[in-house]
Amino acid sequence: MTELSPISPSDEICKVLPCLPEKFIVDFANGIDVVNDHLRVQRARNGFSARLYDGFTGQGQRRQAEINASLVDSVEASLQWLTELSRSLARSNLAMTHVKNRVAMIQTALIDLTHYSADTRQQIERLSFELNERCTQLERDIKRIDLVQRANIEIDLVFSKWEAGKFASFSLAGRCYAVLEELRWGAFGDLYRNGSIGERATHLEILSNRAISQLMRDTDEASTKRLDTTQWLAPPHGRDLLPDAQDALAYLGDWSCIIQSPFVHAICNCGHKLPLRMPRICSSERLVEGLVSDIFRVNE
Amino acid sequence: MKSQSDFAVGLVLSGGGAKGAYHVGVLKALLELGARVDAIAGASIGALNGAILASAPSLKEGVERMDELWNTLASSPPLAPNFPAYLGLLVEVGLRVKGFDHLVKLGNIARDAGLKVPMIGNLLDDGLLSSSPLHRLMDVYFDPDALDNGLPLYVSVFKSRGGLEDLLSVVMADSGLKDSPASEFLHIQKLPKSQQKDALLASAAIPLLFSHRHMNDSIYRDGGMGGWQRMQGNTPVTPLLQAGIKTLLVTHLSDGSLWSRHDFPDATILEIRPQSAIQREGGFKDLLGFDPRKIPSWMEQGYEDTLQCVGRVIDVTTARNELRLSELTLSDSDNQFKRLDQNLSEAMARLR
Repeated sequence: MTELSPISPSDEICKVLPCLPEKFIVDFANGIDVVNDHLRVQRARNGFSARLYDGFTGQGQRRQAEINASLVDSVEASLQWLTELSRSLARSNLAMTHVKNRVAMIQTALIDLTHYSADTRQQIERLSFELNERCTQLERDIKRIDLVQRANIEIDLVFSKWEAGKFASFSLAGRCYAVLEELRWGAFGDLYRNGSIGERATHLEILSNRAISQLMRDTDEASTKRLDTTQWLAPPHGRDLLPDAQDALAYLGDWSCIIQSPFVHAICNCGHKLPLRMPRICSSERLVEGLVSDIFRVNE
Repeated sequence: MKSQSDFAVGLVLSGGGAKGAYHVGVLKALLELGARVDAIAGASIGALNGAILASAPSLKEGVERMDELWNTLASSPPLAPNFPAYLGLLVEVGLRVKGFDHLVKLGNIARDAGLKVPMIGNLLDDGLLSSSPLHRLMDVYFDPDALDNGLPLYVSVFKSRGGLEDLLSVVMADSGLKDSPASEFLHIQKLPKSQQKDALLASAAIPLLFSHRHMNDSIYRDGGMGGWQRMQGNTPVTPLLQAGIKTLLVTHLSDGSLWSRHDFPDATILEIRPQSAIQREGGFKDLLGFDPRKIPSWMEQGYEDTLQCVGRVIDVTTARNELRLSELTLSDSDNQFKRLDQNLSEAMARLR
């Protein structure tokens, strides 16, 4: 025989039947069938004898009491359920309100996020542009620094060669011309051409000063000491001189014009008649000034 | 901790003679609906049906056995006339009509002819019908050994105070003058095996129709006779409640039964009541209506009524459970959203 033993909430039965029928629900739903049964009998017993018998035995009154009790049960259950449903509906409405509030909150957050995103994009674009500009500028600066560096090295190199006597095969003016011509076609020339007016003046001043200094050492005279032009143009004499030095100068200065670049023309065409615009006597300052003007300003 | 009885379901099978076929339909429908039964209480024919059900290895098997039994009953009625008792009845009827002497002589002649004509005073104890065929059917379908391991079975029996007095108490109760004495309830499995079948037959011993049963020096009759006005004996709810079972399925075999669920306020009771007239011809004709016309109709009616009565409760309970489940889901979802709200607020606070 089956014995009824205690069970715990973890037992399988509690999982299978999480909500056994509640009494008021059963009374509510089943009460309808009970009332139907009694009403059917009540309607059927409408004959005189049946009514007399039911009245005499009290069965009619008991049946009516039963119907009434079931109806009261139903009304009470309806009230209870209606109350629970109303509470449930209120909770549902509240939950819907919460959902709407959440949607509003999310919309607000989304708007903020969209603005933030748009602002961030603008900032990134601006930053990108500025960074690009900055990089371009830096690139330009680096190129310029590189060019300045190369120009300086070139100047040092060329003047060191002059100082070391590598241009000794040329006349005094020819040495200066050869140096300036070499610099014009090298990094210094690029630096000069890419510089501003002020920078150009500075570059030329530095160049002039160094050329004057070297000429002062070569002539052993002051920079303002005027010498006869023929002295400046006179080819050197001695051993170990390059035999075709003058030809090389003529080749270098084939671009010269007797009117626009008289100093260069005079140097490159030594032995010919001096141009009219070529001074007959001049200091090293004047010579350098004239050559610089002929070489670097000829195309300005 | 809840006890298993808080979840147990008790089945109450009321008495009603041949209308017990209704129980077959009820149980078929309950089986289809997936209902469980943990204990059974029955009166009269309900006790016999309950015995078959309780001794079956499963509810499904029990319903199949009941179906087979009742189809057999429809084809071969289990009640055979008890001729001596029938003659006795004639004697009693004649006594009133034609005078005592002639009928006493008639009785004597019958006894002299070897017939067991009861004395008039014993008539109400012997019964008009023999229950021998019913015995034989019980022998086929009722297994006392299996019952020991089956569902707890309670039956109602009425302790007789004498045939005439029993009838009078029922008549007085029916007329509203005084209720009949309460029936007693027997836990069949706790009885000695030798008494189990007697107890079941005693529960079905309708006075005048069947003879009473002797148990423990007492005479017992149909349990449906006790507590007549409130159907205390015929719809035996009390033993299940005493066993601690609070959820009950109660079947009725009469139209507009005056048994009241309101007498048991602590129990959850689902009544299966006839939704159309269960009465076919009325009175004893229905009580003894073991014929192939009525039995199938009662079985069908029990099935339909159960689907309606239980189905209505299932629908409502399902709707209620779904509502609760949705509320729980809503609550869980709400709690989850609260955390997300907090996270979103914190994230947006960082952004702003």
